[in-house]
Formats: sequence, structure tokens, C-alpha cells
Amino acid sequence: MRDWEALVEGHLTGFALEPAESADVIAELAAHLAETCEELRKQGMAEEEAVRRTLSQVEDWKKLTRLIQTARTKENIMTNRVKQFWLPSLLTLLLSMGLLALIQVFGPNPWLVARKSGWSLVAPVAVVYLPWLLALPLIGALGAFLSYRSGGSQRAVFSSILFPVLPYLVFFLIGLPMIIILNHHIAHNIMFSALFVGFFGWVLAPGAALLAGGQLAKIFLSRRLDSRRIASN
Amino acid sequence: MIGTGIKRGTAELAVLSVLEHGPLHGYEMAHRIEQQTKGALRFTLAALYPMLYRMEQRGWIRGAWETSSSGRRRRCYRITPVGKKRLSPLRREWAELFGALRRLTKVSNA
Repeated sequence: MRDWEALVEGHLTGFALEPAESADVIAELAAHLAETCEELRKQGMAEEEAVRRTLSQVEDWKKLTRLIQTARTKENIMTNRVKQFWLPSLLTLLLSMGLLALIQVFGPNPWLVARKSGWSLVAPVAVVYLPWLLALPLIGALGAFLSYRSGGSQRAVFSSILFPVLPYLVFFLIGLPMIIILNHHIAHNIMFSALFVGFFGWVLAPGAALLAGGQLAKIFLSRRLDSRRIASN
Repeated sequence: MIGTGIKRGTAELAVLSVLEHGPLHGYEMAHRIEQQTKGALRFTLAALYPMLYRMEQRGWIRGAWETSSSGRRRRCYRITPVGKKRLSPLRREWAELFGALRRLTKVSNA
């Protein structure tokens, strides 16, 4: 007896649906194919011909995958966007900001990185909250987990991981350059180096920490999904 | 045979109409529509299921797994109250369209 489910599963690759939903679709299409083939056999058709005729119902499996995917998600696009992007992103942003505020109030003194002149520090000074920086990979991993679990695309997962640095990025790309242009009292060489140091300390370093945790979580989740698929085959 | 564009438009009406008489699973539905339209409307698996899922998302039909007497699991679809509400304007729209086409072809033949 032909295993129609295995056949359909082999053809419908790249489904971005929940595993249970995907299994439902596969089972339903397989049942339809099995019934069509049985009916053709009852009419006296040879098995090979019946299978060929049954399979001719789908000319392009990739197109069918795409159509089913769209049909099951398009109407729900707002809900999906909320689940796959907005919810993980806002949660990681809230956690990151909340944690930073707590560390600033209750945590150890920040690490100040600057050139020294005698006993004093020379501007620009980078203020690094080490405990916050060390916690960011976990927050990035959480963002990746929530977005990936809801079937988020690569872009949605990536955006959810990096969302907490977005306010700083906006500030350093728009806010600080505006201050440099408008404020004539501060030496421009100090402002430009402050911009660079600030960008590194508040955007690049936290971004790298978030991304490290997020990417690890994503790799772990995709491997787990792959091993589940192999097990179910 | 009816052209593809018209078929696409009438497909939802066909599905809702056959489900109005009772729940059916996908294969039965395709078979029933083909029989009742004398082969003018024919649904392949590739055409039927994306449409059923779309209609289910809209809340017009609802599918549920059932086990037949032979022990086979199949997903049966039922028309919902929303689908029933949608059916009458759909029927009216298509009746208007076919009425207009009939009048047009009569005038053209005259």
C-alpha cells in the first residue's frame, strides 16, 4: 500500500506553518489522493496508471505549497505580524530597557572607558554597563525564540533580536548629528569622537551581544525542528 | 467548458452551495460538484484545498476531523452561519451577472 502522507510531505517542503497545522494539511491532502487513487482502481485502472492520474492533479507542488501557505496566513496577516514581530520585539525592548534601569539604580558602578590625563579622564568617555551587556544575549535569544516559534521569517527573527538597540541607533544616527550641527559651543572633534564611542558602546556592542544569543537560539531551534522532521519520517 | 476566470469566481459559490445540504470532505465535495455540474466545474486537489483553507480563514466554512466507518480519518467541512449569510448575496450577484449575459447575447443574436 502506498504511503501517501510520506509522498505529500516529501513534496510540500518549506511550509512555514506550525508543525501541527502542517501535519493536518499533509494528512488531508494525502487522504484526498488516496481516495482518488482508490476510486480509479475501482473503475478498473491499473495501479501504475491510477497513481499517475492521481498525481497529475498537482502540476506544481511548490506553487501549491505557496497557495496553501498564503490561504492559511494571509487573512490573518495582522495577527501573524503581531506574533512574529511586534510581540517579541517589544518584549525584548522592554526587558532590555527595564534591566538597564535596574542596573543603573541597584547595580555596580559602570565601567568608564576613556583616555587618561593624569588622574582625570579625557572626553569622550564610554559608559559600559557590563552586567547589562552580559545579559543581552539571553534577551536576544528570547526574541529569536518567540519569533521563530510563531513561524516568523528570517527577517522577522532578525528584527526581533536587534529591536532593543533601535532607539539608540535612531539617537546616534539622527539625534546626535543634529546636536553636533546645532551646538556651536562644543568642539567638533570631541563631538565626533563622542558619536563614534557612543555608537560603539550603545549600538554595536549591544547589537553584537543580542545577535550572538539570538543566532545561537535560532540555530538550536532549527536543528531541533530538523531532528523532529527526521524522527517523524 | 467554462473558462478559468469565471470558474474561479464561481468556485466559492459552488462549495457553499454543496455544503448547504450537509457536511462533506474535500474529495466528496469535488466529486459532488463535478457530478451536479455535469463536469463543467472540476476541482483538482491543487485548486480545491487553497480555496477551502481561504474560506475557512474567512469563517465561511469550518473543518473538523472525523473517522469514517471504514476507519479512515477525513476532514469534513460544514457551512457556518457566516457562510450561509454570504451565500445569498453571492447567488444574487451571479444570477444578475448571468441574467445580464443572457440579455446581452440575445440582443447580439437579434
